[in-house]
Amino acid sequence: MTVTTYSSTPLPRRRKSAAHWVLRALGVLILVLVIWRVYTVGMAENYPASFWISQALNGLVLGGVYALVALGYTLVYGILLMINFAHGEVVMIGGFAGFFALQFFTAIGWLEGSAALVAFALLLIVGAGMLASVLTGVTLERVAYRPLRGAPRLVPLISAIGASLFLQYSVLLIFGVSPRVYQKPALIAGGFRVGDVFVPYTGVIIFATSLLLMLALYLIVQRSKLGKAMRAVAEDKGTAALMGIDVNQVIVFTFILGSALAGAAGVMLGFHNTIVKFNSGFILGLKAFTAAVLGGIGNIPGAMMGALLLGLIEAIGPSALGIPTEYKDIISFSVLVLILIFRPSGLLGEVLSEKKA
Amino acid sequence: MQNTRNAALLLVLILALLAGCTAPAVAPAAPAGGQEAPGVQPADAAAQPQATGGQVVIAPGQPIRIGGSFALTGPIPDPGKDIRQAAEIAIDDLNAAGGVNGFLFELVAEDGACSGDQGTVVGNKFAADPTIVAVTGGTCSGETFGLKPILLNARIPFVSPSATNPAVTGPDCDVCNRVALSDALQGVVDADFVFNQLGLTKVAVMHDNSDYGKGLAEIFQNAFIELGGEVTHFEGVQVGDTDFRAALARIGASQPELIFFGGYSTEAALITQQMKETPGLENAKFMSDDGAYTQQYLQAAGSAAEGAYMSFVAGDQQADKLAAFTEAYVAKFGVEPSQLGPFHGQSYDSVMLIADAIKRVAEVDSNGNLVIDREALIAAIRATEGLEGITGTLTCNEIGECGAGGVQIFVVENGEFKQVAGFGL
Repeated sequence: MTVTTYSSTPLPRRRKSAAHWVLRALGVLILVLVIWRVYTVGMAENYPASFWISQALNGLVLGGVYALVALGYTLVYGILLMINFAHGEVVMIGGFAGFFALQFFTAIGWLEGSAALVAFALLLIVGAGMLASVLTGVTLERVAYRPLRGAPRLVPLISAIGASLFLQYSVLLIFGVSPRVYQKPALIAGGFRVGDVFVPYTGVIIFATSLLLMLALYLIVQRSKLGKAMRAVAEDKGTAALMGIDVNQVIVFTFILGSALAGAAGVMLGFHNTIVKFNSGFILGLKAFTAAVLGGIGNIPGAMMGALLLGLIEAIGPSALGIPTEYKDIISFSVLVLILIFRPSGLLGEVLSEKKA
Repeated sequence: MQNTRNAALLLVLILALLAGCTAPAVAPAAPAGGQEAPGVQPADAAAQPQATGGQVVIAPGQPIRIGGSFALTGPIPDPGKDIRQAAEIAIDDLNAAGGVNGFLFELVAEDGACSGDQGTVVGNKFAADPTIVAVTGGTCSGETFGLKPILLNARIPFVSPSATNPAVTGPDCDVCNRVALSDALQGVVDADFVFNQLGLTKVAVMHDNSDYGKGLAEIFQNAFIELGGEVTHFEGVQVGDTDFRAALARIGASQPELIFFGGYSTEAALITQQMKETPGLENAKFMSDDGAYTQQYLQAAGSAAEGAYMSFVAGDQQADKLAAFTEAYVAKFGVEPSQLGPFHGQSYDSVMLIADAIKRVAEVDSNGNLVIDREALIAAIRATEGLEGITGTLTCNEIGECGAGGVQIFVVENGEFKQVAGFGL
């Protein structure tokens, strides 16, 4: 047995590069295995094209909802470097507010009026959900996060988890465990048919609205003065403050943006899946957070891309791989783990890491 | 870079936590046919009850405490509440009739949450409390699997009003009893109804991965295949999920004539609605079980529920007793019991059965204390014969099946359940 001593400088580099190639090879191998599995098992079922199209549509709708929620995580992370774990509950509260607004408009008869009146009422219902979510989000920031601004990073995280449980169980105590059921007005119930593919109206509305809202968010962040301030604060809080930017105001604005998107998602999901209950934000929040990490947390286009990707994987994955749909979460989280192994900062995370490094 | 890494690490942690939380939901359910539930090992020799068995000694003025494990939260809160309130009415009636030798009853209600985990927590709570004489519950099968080994070990007999998985009772468990009827019956009758009365031969089976839902779905599937039918899919979903479109699209590709769902009302309602939007399933029928036979299902599924079938394991309702019970229930809680859930009769009877056994074994000692021997009580419950309850004449067999009645099948018509086949029609 020989003992060899190496000088420490050149070797780690070579080793890292070897590991790098092993990792690459492993990645290619996994990809080949997946494709082989899809080809031999998934395709062997001979599903018609319309099946894949309707699954993809299901995935896009799911992805649209995830995207709206994921943006809330990513916006807050980009600025405060903290994960707002109560964000799922912000969505749920939006869903509840939307439900009560729906009850109200049903009671005053607006939902049986002309199409224009119904559409207006629906807008107001979404607005009510957004308002409730914004109030919740801003209160959270003021009560649970701002006092801990200077604390070590784990502290606001624990506070966020506490806030999440607080909100869930407050809603449980106030509204009970039974789910609340959205009654779809006739205008958006049902859907239309393209060949063999059924497209529900609510699905179209969700996807279109989430694209619109994401576009609006992009414009606000990239073009408006407040957006510029947000980006400055994300870059460097101290310097931004020196430049005369009111950091607190920018942070509150960020929470308003994220929560408004969450509220819209909560109400639209209520119309789509018809049920909202005290814990319906929990899993949704985790999925959306996954989507944000998948795309590269802190990165806005990343969150949108990660969310749509996650939605598609969840809808198409089980059929394509020929495994039961109850394992959809395993597939999506495996994809997350794989992507993090090969791209530790997420799909579009590089831009951010350069900026933050 | 560092931050993103931390975030990723954190995510993995949270996922691990989540996996821990949801594990019981995906735990495999009991196989059909009275076998032992997985995860519930029969108590080994060392863990077997101490020979002494023990006695409960109740001082004068103290109540006879009966534990109750009810699904007050979880997937079926309304039926859980109904079962609890019915048990309270039973306790009121017992006390109004003078209790046992002047000793009154008291209900110690705990939330079993319809889950195995919470069932274990409740079981340990009861086992640690020497004043608990017997237990009514649990509401759900999974919850009861949590209670079972602990109560067996603590020598506390239980009577479940509504846990229907076949493995809840068995020859190896002398403290396990129920007033509900086993799913071994329900699944077979359902399969027979679909095959012979509806004349359908191609079905898909779904379940919610709970001990109850999956167990029933398996029984249905086996019975249906035995009859000569074809089962195109056997798909699980998760309790709490709200979007089942991906699973349904897959089932729709083989165009089954009916979907049978083993599970509870919320998921059943969502599947009923989303089926209508799935290519290949627009005209498929839907059938579910006594877990979905609730007002909550009708309310949540809305117009999509029209034409859906539900089965229920009903007692042999004694009209006059039920009327008196309903009157007391409405007077105390201000709501018709049938608005909340279907198992109130079983719950009332389950408490009455326990109380009847206590009356037979309780003795007053020289100090005026009421003494209940635990082993004698276990034997007395098993020996119940010809007890007149709301759900019929209750007689316990050698493995603790005490229920009376049979399976009824309902169809949803104009937003209400209407019986179309089965027992008592």
